[in-house]
Amino acid sequence: MKSILYDKTTQAIENTLRNPLVLIVAALVLGAAALVPLWMLFPYYRWLLSDPFWFPIIVMGVMLKVILTSTAVCILAERKLASFTQDRHGPNRVGFWGLLQPMADGLKFFLKEDITPANVDKPIFMLAPVLALITALIGFAIIPWAGDVHWPWMPEGEVVRTQVASLNIGILYMLAVGSLGVYGIVLGGYASNNKYSFFGGMRATAQMISYELPLGLALLSVLLVSGTVRPELIVDTQATTGMWYVFYQPIAFFIVLVCTFAEANRTPFDLAEAEQELVGGFHTEYSSMKFAMFFLGEYAHIVTGSAIMVALFFGGWHCWGLTSAADTSWIGMLIKLNVYFAKVAAFVLFFMLIRWTIPRFRFDQLMRICWLGLVPLGIALLAGTAILVALGWQHNLWASLGMNLVLLVLTLIYTARSTVPVTGRQTDLPEIQVRPA
Amino acid sequence: MPGIASWVERSVRAAGEWNLNGMSTLLVIFLVLGATGLFLALPGTRGGWRPVGMALLVAAGILLVFVLADFALGRELPIWFGGCALVALFAATRVITHTKPVYSALYFVLLIVAVTGLLLLMSAEFLAAALVIVYAGAILVTYLFVIMLAQQARLAPYDARAREPFVGCVAGFVLLAIIAAQLLVAPSGVGAEPTVEEAAGTVEAVGTLLLTDYIIAIQLAGLLLLAGMVGAIAIARRQAADSTPQNGGVD
Repeated sequence: MKSILYDKTTQAIENTLRNPLVLIVAALVLGAAALVPLWMLFPYYRWLLSDPFWFPIIVMGVMLKVILTSTAVCILAERKLASFTQDRHGPNRVGFWGLLQPMADGLKFFLKEDITPANVDKPIFMLAPVLALITALIGFAIIPWAGDVHWPWMPEGEVVRTQVASLNIGILYMLAVGSLGVYGIVLGGYASNNKYSFFGGMRATAQMISYELPLGLALLSVLLVSGTVRPELIVDTQATTGMWYVFYQPIAFFIVLVCTFAEANRTPFDLAEAEQELVGGFHTEYSSMKFAMFFLGEYAHIVTGSAIMVALFFGGWHCWGLTSAADTSWIGMLIKLNVYFAKVAAFVLFFMLIRWTIPRFRFDQLMRICWLGLVPLGIALLAGTAILVALGWQHNLWASLGMNLVLLVLTLIYTARSTVPVTGRQTDLPEIQVRPA
Repeated sequence: MPGIASWVERSVRAAGEWNLNGMSTLLVIFLVLGATGLFLALPGTRGGWRPVGMALLVAAGILLVFVLADFALGRELPIWFGGCALVALFAATRVITHTKPVYSALYFVLLIVAVTGLLLLMSAEFLAAALVIVYAGAILVTYLFVIMLAQQARLAPYDARAREPFVGCVAGFVLLAIIAAQLLVAPSGVGAEPTVEEAAGTVEAVGTLLLTDYIIAIQLAGLLLLAGMVGAIAIARRQAADSTPQNGGVD
């Protein structure tokens, strides 16, 4: 019997697309079609690149495109990694090694029916995915992608910065935007008029408010070491000294890492969309492109979080022997950009590995990890760093490491001596003595 | 058309120059417009009049931002300031006139964002970031949390109808009149161009000031917050004992 859905023509197209040679040729042709006109017109618009007003706008456009495209690649990578962890093949039908899967996914999102359930709170229902995506995307404004660049046709000594906005509140801007990020999820959960979605939104609120505290404390420790809140200055300092801040403040990095997982709603902190308990959590009622926007927002959040962590702890675009702050040529800029992207990609892959390795926490565990684990550790770390700063030792590697080691040992002793682990069962906790009302 | 425009301009100018005990007629017009509009727009039994109230309020807002400020300061306001101020006024009005608490909270967020814009225009970047982090990021999320938990299937009577809208409007706008009149009779404090240097709003400047000139204030604020936190914990523990007696009040 001849199947309508899978006839010989479809089969032929699929087989052609699975050939890597066809894909490479197609990529070359498409790339040439896009790049040749750009290259030929280059003398006419190159002043835009050296203009301090237009260059950040170009950076913004390019980075927006890169982030949104990388989201698609991220989804493919996530599925491939998941299948690798679970000992199966993963997507391998569309294109060679499943490389065209992101396109198929995107097309599927567009073609699905966009359902708005009858009893939802319509304006908020529409607003929520937009908020989720926007708050995840505007965090990119402060990331110093590739330091300063001097184009060959610029006057001697002038440079432009590959950063959308150089704010003197720097990291605080990131915190402000991150704290707005919760609205998308909360409102999505509320507007859906569905108990499961509602619980998802509630969980997300409690989780995000809680995890902002240790995040702020750990960031403060790094800011005490760096002495500035501008991310570009933080990266420049790390590049000139060659010492990344992760060496000075490993515990701060650990806390920020955990909090970024929580803020991005990633496993093991994805309580807001726990499938087993809440169907789909806050996005149960969303379909088609509205769901895709939540999805995009989550991945954009991961990439932003990774980029911020790379800038603060891993020297941004710095790599020993490869890049330096003094090198402002455009080739140097491209190398720096690639170094930055490589670090961010490593972080994103780490996020994915964790997702398929560590199971989700229970909600009470999640809260106790934050309030009994990370917050006291963050306060102790801040106090320790403040003491180092008071003694003038904050740039002394051995003093910093010693402080971190002392903290680690104290934490381990405390954990070993406490009868119930922080992630223990609720019923194992000692009863709280309550005086009668 | 230019004839009408110049006529409007002339009458507005004449009205602005006619002073009533130091209070410009334009200010009186604004206050009456605003009070009437707010009274009509507040949720209550006057269902059909609410759009009229909103229209009056919009007119009052435009009058305040573009005409009155022009007279009071003697110069035109930057367009960004006008935009942010209008959005802030609109959001603030909707906070108290909307019948759904969730929307009120969201308009409050919009208000915070608009005020942040105003602060950024004055290059008070640290204050702007702090406002977003503290209000929009923490306090209002908690409000939203509580409002959503306490939501009811139908509109609660205290949401559907404002309590004492007339008294409230009169009291509020009389207060506003006093403040605005003081601003108008003392134009030297308001009208001057801001002379703060560029670095005044940065993290470094604010931090240095907080830890030198205002050290006692910040210590007192810290003490107050600590007391509040201890009090909240004490109250929360007793509540837990009341609501869940069977498992020993474990929260």
